[in-house]
Amino acid sequence: MNNQPSSKKFLAWFNPLGRQPGSWAFILSRITALGLTFYLFLHLVVLGRLAQGPQAYQEFLALAESPIVKLGELAVIAAVIYHGLNGIRIILTSFGIGVAHQQRLFYASVALALAGTVFFGIRLFGG
Amino acid sequence: MTEKWNITLRIYRQKTGELPHFDDFAMEVDPNEYVLDAIERVWAFHDRSLCFRHACHHSTCGACGMRINGVEKLTCITVIRDVTHNGATLKVEPLRNFPVVSDLAVDMGVFYRKMEMVGARAVLPVTEAEIEHPPATWQPEDARYIRLSDCLECGLCISACPVAATTIEYLGPAPLAAAQDVGLRRSPELLTIIDSEDGLWRCHSAFECTAVCPSFVDPGRRIMNLRKQAIGLKLTKLFGKPGVPQP
Amino acid sequence: MPKSHVIIIGAGFTGVAIAHDLALRGCDITVIERGDICNGTSGRTHGLLHSGGRYAVKDKESAIECIQENTILRRIVPQVIEPNGGLFIALNESDLSYAEQFIESCQECGIPLDELTPQHALQLEPNINPKLLSAFVVPDGTFDPLRLALAFAATAKHNGARFRTFTEVEGLQIDGQGNVIGVNILDRTSNQRMGIRADVVVNATGAWAGQITSMASLDAPVTPTPGIMVAYDQRLVQRAVNRLNVPGDGDIVLPQRRMVVVGTTSFDAENVDYIPVVEEQTKLMLERGSELIPGIRNAKPRGIYMATRPLISGGSGRSIARTFKCYDHKQTHNIDGLVTITGGKATTLRLMAEKTADVVCAKLGISAPCITQDMPLLSYREYYAIPN
Repeated sequence: MNNQPSSKKFLAWFNPLGRQPGSWAFILSRITALGLTFYLFLHLVVLGRLAQGPQAYQEFLALAESPIVKLGELAVIAAVIYHGLNGIRIILTSFGIGVAHQQRLFYASVALALAGTVFFGIRLFGG
Repeated sequence: MTEKWNITLRIYRQKTGELPHFDDFAMEVDPNEYVLDAIERVWAFHDRSLCFRHACHHSTCGACGMRINGVEKLTCITVIRDVTHNGATLKVEPLRNFPVVSDLAVDMGVFYRKMEMVGARAVLPVTEAEIEHPPATWQPEDARYIRLSDCLECGLCISACPVAATTIEYLGPAPLAAAQDVGLRRSPELLTIIDSEDGLWRCHSAFECTAVCPSFVDPGRRIMNLRKQAIGLKLTKLFGKPGVPQP
Repeated sequence: MPKSHVIIIGAGFTGVAIAHDLALRGCDITVIERGDICNGTSGRTHGLLHSGGRYAVKDKESAIECIQENTILRRIVPQVIEPNGGLFIALNESDLSYAEQFIESCQECGIPLDELTPQHALQLEPNINPKLLSAFVVPDGTFDPLRLALAFAATAKHNGARFRTFTEVEGLQIDGQGNVIGVNILDRTSNQRMGIRADVVVNATGAWAGQITSMASLDAPVTPTPGIMVAYDQRLVQRAVNRLNVPGDGDIVLPQRRMVVVGTTSFDAENVDYIPVVEEQTKLMLERGSELIPGIRNAKPRGIYMATRPLISGGSGRSIARTFKCYDHKQTHNIDGLVTITGGKATTLRLMAEKTADVVCAKLGISAPCITQDMPLLSYREYYAIPN
């Protein structure tokens, strides 16, 4: 019979239609988590290149100036701030602290993540 | 003069051995009546083969939970005006995460077994029904009075929970909320049931359960409170003196 | 010796209570219900566990049944009951003049009652009309309709009864002598039709009794009599509040979870499958309910619904006796194999089942006595927890 719980339904996690802010927080945490894991992998690859000597590192620095990479770094910044703050929200609520304010805490995490993104965006791309 | 709307009820149908599909029913409704009234009229006047559950029609039995336009609702107290408008289509589907018995009726067996397992209280003293702002009308001696617990065991929270969607092993919001209501102080043996990878710690704070609960249970808050209780109990066990009864 | 097979049509209060009783007496039971448990009248019951006070003056038979069954139900199924007692309050001279016969009649029927001063009543229930003139306390209670039925159904299921829900009886199987020997059903979950044989068929369909008896070309002596209920979103009282007077419209207010429910009215209806809400009656409930509890005017309606009582014919509206009757159609129409139970009220479900089971067992030659009055029921959750 269908309509049963199934591990394949994890994709349903990413469907925010008709859902509450708590679900959005849940979804964004997972997406940022996946994103940051991928970033960590990339970071290790880069460090690997460092180990190959100054020539390889210079090549990397040249690449790092390109707008696409900078955009990627901005995405990482947004993800880190959001994921970190929402993580704190989850830690707090998990201990029964601030449960009544969980939606506000989520909005605050998003707002701070956006603010941080704008700030670092200006620094990365501005003169 | 009652207002009349013309809406289409798009109802999920599934019979044994057949593929699910949707049937459309054009209905004239009073926007101030309840979604369940319209569904009942579909059954009474249009299609007697429609299977759905309903009993009390006033949010005490929990039988009539369904998804209306994708959102979990108790249809007997859901006013049509609040979920649709004149000329629109109203989608009616069974709850998620339960096997479908037929059409809109789902199999609640596993869920009820979980509620029994945690010893959910069906009746409790009036003053133990946790609410943040008790009515000024309740007096201290009201503790003598017994009332039916808030949880209707309607299953809306299980349907809305993203974790419950992925595994049937997860205890789920209502059973965990019921365990919180019983309390680890009263029943420390509950700890073994809830303190597992499919119990208390599986919740990921989506708070969908609290959002859809029609009966003020606030399962999200109760699960977090239960975590506090569980940690407290485990720490006491860790550091408590042997031979001394633990709370 | 193989067990007798009894088919019970209808899984409302009467059907599930009979299933429970007969299962304990050793019958093989199949309950057939076209919806799910408490789909019809039973689900929409007001939920008053009667002390009998309401009937003491005009219907002593009902009142005595109520107080006895009230006591039994508190013992065997406390899991579904808010046992907080009830008040009868007098708001005017007409009410007050009813008090004397009320007291006498309650005492006659064995209904414990206490008179309270208005001050004391207001201490107990701060939200009742402060202008009340007098109050009496009786052992009323409130119950959850579905869960009451589920508790009976769960125990019956545990003892072997089979429940076929979403299954409609399309016809009765009749043998050459005109006796009922089974039912023809349509399983709505699979669109399959089949016949099931039975030694006795019990028609426990309440307000729909006529539909089943017509399948054997009989009339059922039941007058469907709907009434309205309005549930408001504040729990303004902890116990049932009744108007002290002859039974009338909107004179009972019950607490239930976080609501109060005002009921009811009484009128005739033809089509029993769907009764639309009548707005004048909603307004009447607001009027009469707020006479008892003024705070209702500031509460919002949470649910408004109609329920159809199965009253025994021979009278109209409120004068119809609220007792129940069990008809063995062998005696009424010389048609064997069919028994109809109708009338009654939720509070007396166990007694209705006992009397019906007595009739059924007499027909089947079963001498086991009824033991339901002392049998605590299983948790209502077991009905769903035990697989079909």
